[in-house]
Amino acid sequence: MNYAIAFDYQNCINCKACEVACKEQNNVQLGADKQRIWVGQTEKVVFGKLFVNFYPSQCNHCLDAPCVEVCPTNASHFVDGGLVMVDQSKCILCKGCMEACPYDARFVDDEKVAVDKCTFCYDTRISKGYTTTACQATCPTKVRLFGDLDDENGALVQLLKKRKFFVLKQKEKTVPKLFYLLPEHDMNYAMNSIGHDTKLYTWDEMKPIIEKAKAKRIKQWKKS
Amino acid sequence: MNVEISRRRFLQGSVALTVLGGVSLSSDNLFSNEKKKNASNSKSEDVPFLCGMCVNKCAGFAHVEDGIVKKLNPNPYFPKSRNMLCPRGNAGIHTLYDPDRLKYPLVRIGERGDGKYKRVSWDEAYDAILHGTDKFPGILKILDEEKDNRATIGYCNGEGLSKEGFEDLMGQKIGTPNYVDEISICLETTLAGYFNTIGAYGEADLNNADYLIIAGANRAEAIITPDTMDMFKRNRGRGLKIVALDPRYTNTVANADRWYAINPGTDLAFVLALTYVAIKEELYDKDFIAKHGVGFEDYKNHVLSNGYTPEWASKITGIPAEEIYKTAREFMTAKSPIYYQGRRSVFSKNDFQLRRAMAIFQGLSGNLDKKGGIIFGQKIALPKEDINAPMYAQVQERFDVKSVAIPTGKTGSWILFRNMVVEGKTPYPVRAMFMRKHNPLSGVPNTTKTVEFLKKMDLNVMIDILPSDTAMFCDVILPEASYLERESPVTSFGFLEPAVALRKAAVKPLYETKPPEVIYKELAEKLSKPLWENTLKYDEDVQDDTKGMKPEELEQYYKENGFDLADIWEKSVEEQNKEKIVKTFGEEAWKILEEKGIYYPNIEKYHKKINDNEYEYYPDDKKFYTTKKDKLKVVINFKNLAKKGVDPMPTWHADYAFEVPKGKFRLVTGRHAQFTQSGTTNNIMLRDLIRENYLWINSEVAKQKGIKFADIVEVTSSVGKIRIKAFPTLRIAPNQVFLLHGFGGSSKEMEFAYGHGANDAMIIEDKIEPIYGAAVMNETNVDIRKV
Repeated sequence: MNYAIAFDYQNCINCKACEVACKEQNNVQLGADKQRIWVGQTEKVVFGKLFVNFYPSQCNHCLDAPCVEVCPTNASHFVDGGLVMVDQSKCILCKGCMEACPYDARFVDDEKVAVDKCTFCYDTRISKGYTTTACQATCPTKVRLFGDLDDENGALVQLLKKRKFFVLKQKEKTVPKLFYLLPEHDMNYAMNSIGHDTKLYTWDEMKPIIEKAKAKRIKQWKKS
Repeated sequence: MNVEISRRRFLQGSVALTVLGGVSLSSDNLFSNEKKKNASNSKSEDVPFLCGMCVNKCAGFAHVEDGIVKKLNPNPYFPKSRNMLCPRGNAGIHTLYDPDRLKYPLVRIGERGDGKYKRVSWDEAYDAILHGTDKFPGILKILDEEKDNRATIGYCNGEGLSKEGFEDLMGQKIGTPNYVDEISICLETTLAGYFNTIGAYGEADLNNADYLIIAGANRAEAIITPDTMDMFKRNRGRGLKIVALDPRYTNTVANADRWYAINPGTDLAFVLALTYVAIKEELYDKDFIAKHGVGFEDYKNHVLSNGYTPEWASKITGIPAEEIYKTAREFMTAKSPIYYQGRRSVFSKNDFQLRRAMAIFQGLSGNLDKKGGIIFGQKIALPKEDINAPMYAQVQERFDVKSVAIPTGKTGSWILFRNMVVEGKTPYPVRAMFMRKHNPLSGVPNTTKTVEFLKKMDLNVMIDILPSDTAMFCDVILPEASYLERESPVTSFGFLEPAVALRKAAVKPLYETKPPEVIYKELAEKLSKPLWENTLKYDEDVQDDTKGMKPEELEQYYKENGFDLADIWEKSVEEQNKEKIVKTFGEEAWKILEEKGIYYPNIEKYHKKINDNEYEYYPDDKKFYTTKKDKLKVVINFKNLAKKGVDPMPTWHADYAFEVPKGKFRLVTGRHAQFTQSGTTNNIMLRDLIRENYLWINSEVAKQKGIKFADIVEVTSSVGKIRIKAFPTLRIAPNQVFLLHGFGGSSKEMEFAYGHGANDAMIIEDKIEPIYGAAVMNETNVDIRKV
């Protein structure tokens, strides 16, 4: 198992249903700055025309995650399925992981007195037999598709085989697992939102990168 | 400083909530693994519900553990909401467990508006409505003094599945004609314009359309299903081209292919110019119009002779003429073009004519009653209860809509009704208001007048779930069970993929709250006999009828003629629902409906999962794309309208023009996806997303005025003033400002909402459009001053 999510991000209308579903599902602390999931927004003027773009996002569950690397107590760790989890009983709130995360995906939960972040709903849904994360299930325009990268015949890999995609901050080389599907019928939209130097991947290009990173880290994957 | 205060307030709120719902909200994390095992022995179930957070009615399953709602999940069986819940739908738990909820019946012991109430039993509350207290008179005294003129009691109710029951109680049974609801502050002219032109409002088949003009509607932020989902999965080169018109750059605009920042209130000129191009260049569907059009030649002459050219419209709308030509040509040559009907409050006084023009323009494309067009669909008929409504001789007729062109007998005009009462222009006194799930202090323009109106009443009664601004002006407050705590009357949803939906109670009513139908019944039982005695005292018709009757004959007359006000609810909602479904579709259907929350004929055969995200509800060849056929009419020249002084064909008048005096700003208002008006402002989860509203002001203008982000500005109109934080943005034109509706409530009992943002109804002038008397929201000019 190697869980990941593909984002048809141009469907996003920034309604924030995902944020609320996540908070309700996972008992995330209340507070505007306490989000496991968020919708980023770019606002630009391109050739005198106003342009707004939405990027739903969350923890990338990087295969080569720097947050796990820096954690002094092993609170941040990998589990089966290639997920990055936080054992909150071990967290000492040094916040090194928050510094290390390129995506700013982590925050302090003041009630649990520990760092918190997205778990791909593994503990609250996936391990209980659901096949979707809360954010995917509730979305009006169905931006997300959650799935297993090891399952070549699964819906996720089939989709990634059909569409080009990019990842956020590929230069960080953390091998993130949120795949943003290229708006292939609207290259202006794509280029305006991601910039011209963003690397576009096909599944054939991405697959060896994933396999290499997985091989490097799989010894550390704990049974969940 | 402000930030700090807000932050502290917020944490207070957070603590309060933890105390109330501590176990329910964080048990998973609090319990160790060991305890989790115990928890798995606990009782959990998924109960189908219909969402009550807004008007749309999405379906979901409430995940309930040990009698506590833990999570709301979307329902994949409902074709209308297609397996989704929006942010408000997800946050419904926090409406159910809102610590500020009305928990017990309350009777006022202080002055109106000061929030001083006494907790009483239900019977004491009903008794206070009937007989009053030392602070206010009861309904019996009022009706005695008014000689059984039932019209002295007004009532109002916002949208919802239990609204009809309240109408039955107040309108049919107690017998007052003075009813106002959300229609006249909402989409009255939209519905009427389409109804009077193509026979119905219809539904836009956005799954199959290929070209969409969406003007004024904002589906990304005012979510309506299935439109929102369909629209934004097919945009940006994926089959549906979207042209958006809005004075503001909305999230809908962000997802459109083209945007025209049209001057507020000038859409009619735009549509007339599109029509001009379609007619002049003979782009319209001639066969379709020949078959279905009524009065096309008149309209053709009208549009051409009035010179409604794109060049003409350009000056009015601010949209370049060549863009209007382009849009008209693209629309008329597209395979399946839709000019989206939209559904929103009335923005300008020409709105009825705008809707007529839009419907006619749609008709000119021929894209009606077919796949990819505006369709009329089918509705599953459910049996209706007959209501035995008594006749009252003393009741007088409603007075508010006599001054408008087309009076709507049932729901009238909020603004006209209120203003006539306030100005003392009514033919008889209106002395009581019975209100349910409605907050006119926030919803009806010119709050100052609404306060005056409520103060003028001898008796105000509120049935609601939260202590709204309006509730604080009431004498008796009855706490209702929220939508997750009650079964509601089973409802049929029509159009392309019709279905019947059931809202079941996920949990028992909290505190001492009761489902609305139970309240109606108990209140009716309490009032029935005393009010009957009052009728016997004043009603000459009843006196003639009952002359010389023995007590048991009199009792029989009372029952047979519907004076027993509670007879509607002899059977509970649960019993009525089951009976209706079993009678219409059989036992098996009821089983499916109870389990899935949804039923339609052949659901077992038709409903299929395609993948984790998508479901099929009906096979394509079973969808109701074409249902009107030869019966379809597009009434272009509606001659009867002329008899009522209304333009029989959409016509532009000079006073429709958009004008803002120098130095002033046009105020526009609207909604967003994380709130439904004032009703959700106290929801702690939603407040994480938007805590207050801001005044959108053009960045350049703000710079000139020295206004920076979050600076406090005073906004003044002819009817009031508000203070609000500024949000300089390029997303709005220099002579306009915008604020979200629903914030800035005055009720201190809603502690999370109180003190945040400003109430737009304080400054929106109480203007009406002339056809129905519906409130016009976007015709107020304001002054802005940095404080």
